[in-house]
Amino acid sequence: MDMQFGVMLRGLFDWDDDMKVRFNELMEQARLIDKLGYDCITKGSHFSTYPHQEMTQIPFLCRIMSEAPNVRLNAGIVLLALHNPMEVADYFATMDLMSGGRMIFGCALGYREVEYKAFGVEKGTGVTRFEENLEAVRRLWTDEKVSMKGTTFELDEARISVPLQQDPHPPIWIGANADVAIKRAARLGDCWYLNPHQKVETLLRQMDLYREELEKHKKPFPKELPIRREVFCAPTHDEAVELAAPYIKGMYDAYKTWGQDKAMPAEDRDITQEYAELARDRFIVGDPDEVAEEYVRYNKELGVNHIIMSVQGVGMPQGQVLDTLSLVAEEVMPKVRAA
Amino acid sequence: MTRSQYTRTEDMTARFEELLQQVRLLNALGYDSFAKGNHYSSDPFYEFQQLPLLCRLMADAPDMRLIAGIVLLALHKPLEIAEYFATMDVMSGGNLVFGAALGYRDVEYKAFDIKKGTGVKRFEQNLEAIRRLWTGERVNMKGDYFELDNASVSMPCVQNPHPPIWIGANADVAVDRAARIGDAWYISAHHRKDTLYRQVEFYKRCLEKYKKPYPTEWPLRREVYIADSREAAIDAVRPYLGLKYSTYHAWGQSGPMPQGDTLGLEFDDLLQNRFIFGNANEVAEEIIDYCRLLGTNNFITSCQWPGMPHTMVMENIEMFAKDVIPKVRQGL
Repeated sequence: MDMQFGVMLRGLFDWDDDMKVRFNELMEQARLIDKLGYDCITKGSHFSTYPHQEMTQIPFLCRIMSEAPNVRLNAGIVLLALHNPMEVADYFATMDLMSGGRMIFGCALGYREVEYKAFGVEKGTGVTRFEENLEAVRRLWTDEKVSMKGTTFELDEARISVPLQQDPHPPIWIGANADVAIKRAARLGDCWYLNPHQKVETLLRQMDLYREELEKHKKPFPKELPIRREVFCAPTHDEAVELAAPYIKGMYDAYKTWGQDKAMPAEDRDITQEYAELARDRFIVGDPDEVAEEYVRYNKELGVNHIIMSVQGVGMPQGQVLDTLSLVAEEVMPKVRAA
Repeated sequence: MTRSQYTRTEDMTARFEELLQQVRLLNALGYDSFAKGNHYSSDPFYEFQQLPLLCRLMADAPDMRLIAGIVLLALHKPLEIAEYFATMDVMSGGNLVFGAALGYRDVEYKAFDIKKGTGVKRFEQNLEAIRRLWTGERVNMKGDYFELDNASVSMPCVQNPHPPIWIGANADVAVDRAARIGDAWYISAHHRKDTLYRQVEFYKRCLEKYKKPYPTEWPLRREVYIADSREAAIDAVRPYLGLKYSTYHAWGQSGPMPQGDTLGLEFDDLLQNRFIFGNANEVAEEIIDYCRLLGTNNFITSCQWPGMPHTMVMENIEMFAKDVIPKVRQGL
C-alpha cells in the first residue's frame, strides 16, 4: 500500500469560544484537506470535555461527508466499551452507505472516569464489554440475523438497518497503548492504530510484541498500519519549534488531568516533562524536509504506511492551520512519496 | 417526514441519492422542517439511522429545521444524547428539534439491555439529565443507570435554553407525561381523529394541572397523499402504506395505542379518520379542520412508504407545496 496521508480534526476549543464560528472553520479545513489530496480525515471521541469544547465524533463525521467527498473518514477512535453494539453497528452502516464506503471504524477502551460513570459502565467490566461489543458489531455487519447474548445486551434475531458498502465491513482499527491492549489489538483488529503519545523506541519494542501476537493468532501483518502524530511543520526549523511549544504544553496538561498518562506503559508515563524532552521522538516538529524525513523514518522503522497528523493545538488560529495543511501537502507529501 | 424505510430488496445507494434529491426539493420549495424517526433492527425494512442521516441531510437543506422525531430515549445514555444533539444544534445553526418517546419493541429493548418495566423511569431520568446538561455548565446527578459526576456537554446548544423538546405519546398516561415534562406533545400519524379530539382536551387539562402554558408550537404528523380523487390516492398508496402498518402492528405498535384503538385492521378500515387522502382541495380542507379543532400549528406530512417509487414522492412534495400549503395558509 502506498503511503496514506491523513489529518485529525481534533478541534479542542476553549469553553467560551463561539462554536458556530469554529465549526465553520473546521468545515473550511475539511474542504481544503479534500482539495489538497489528503487521503483521510480522522475525528476522535470524548465526552464531557469541560473546560474544552469539541464537536462530537459521529455527528461531525456525517456532516463533513458532503464537504470532503473524496477522503476516507476515520472514527479514530470510538470508545466502544461505553456504547451499545446495535447502536454503533447501525450508525456506522448508515455512515458507510452515505459516504459511499469511505468509513474506517477505529475503536479503543477509553480511560476517563467521568465517561465510564456517565455511561453506567463499571471500570472492571470495560474489557469484557469492549470485546463483546466488537464481536456483536462485527456479526451485525456480516450476518443476516444475529442472536447473541452479551453481559449487557441481547441480540434476538437482530438485523442491521442498511447493508454495508465495504466488503465485508469498514476496516476495524484498534487503538492501544499498554502491552496488554496491543495484544488484544492483534487478536481482534484488522490493525493496531498506533497512538500519538508514545516514543518511537517504545513503539519499536511494542511492534515486536504485536508481530509475535499476530503470529500466535496466525494473522498476517496488516496491509495498512496507521499511526497518529502531532505534527508542527513550518517553512523553517526555528519557526516550527516556536509554533509547537505552547500547544504541546497546553494539550498535555489537559490530557494529564484527564488521566491519559495512567493508560500508558510505565516508561512513558510522565507526559508533563519539560517540553524539549517531551517532544523528542514523540512529536514531529520541523521544516518540510525534516518532517518528510521523519515520515520516511516512521515508515522504515515501524512499518506504518498511514500517518495521521494532528496540527491544531488548542487556541491555534485558523490561518496557521490552513498554512500547515497546505505546506505539508505541497512540500512534504511529494518528498515522502519519492522516498 | 423523510421516513426512509425501504424493502430489503432495494438498492440503498440509489435510495440515498433520491433522498438527497427529496430534501433539496423540500428546501427549495420553502418547507419549514424535515423529520426522521428512529428504529433499530427494522426488519423487514431497510432504514437509515436517524442521527447520522439528519447530520448528513442538513448539508443539503440549509434553510430547514431538523426534527429528531422521535429518539427512543429510554434506550440511550443521556450524556451521549445530550452531546450529539448539542453538536447538531450548533452545526445546524440552532435549527434542531429534539423529539423523544418511550419505544415499545422487544428486539430494541433487549438489544439495549432495558428490562421492560424500567422504560418509563429511564426515560424520565434521561430527559432530566439531558435538560440539566443542556442548561448547566457542570452536572452532578445519580440516575439508576448512569452517574453524572461533574459532567459537561462538549458544547452548549445554540438555542436558548435548548432545542424544543417534543414528546411522542399514544396512551393517556403518556399524554399526561408529555404535558408534565415536554415543551409540546408531538401527535403521531396513527392516532384516529375522534381519539385525538378527546385526548387533546385531556392534554389541556393536564397542562392546567401542571400549571404549564399552552405550547406555542404544537406539532401533528399525518400520512398524506394527493391524487385526482380520494379513491385514486388510496389506490396509489395501498401497497406501500398497507405494508408499513401491517409491519408496525406486527412490531407491537398497537400495544401502546389509546384505549379501544388498534392498527390490526384491514387497510380500508385502518385509513378511516386517520390518514389524509384526496385532491388538493380536500387535503387542504382536512388539514385546516385539524388545525382549527386541535390548535396544531406545525403540520408534518409523511408521503413515502416502503417500496414507493421516488417519482411519486417528488410529485407529492411538489403538489403539496404548490396546491395545498397556500390554501391552508389562506384558510386559517
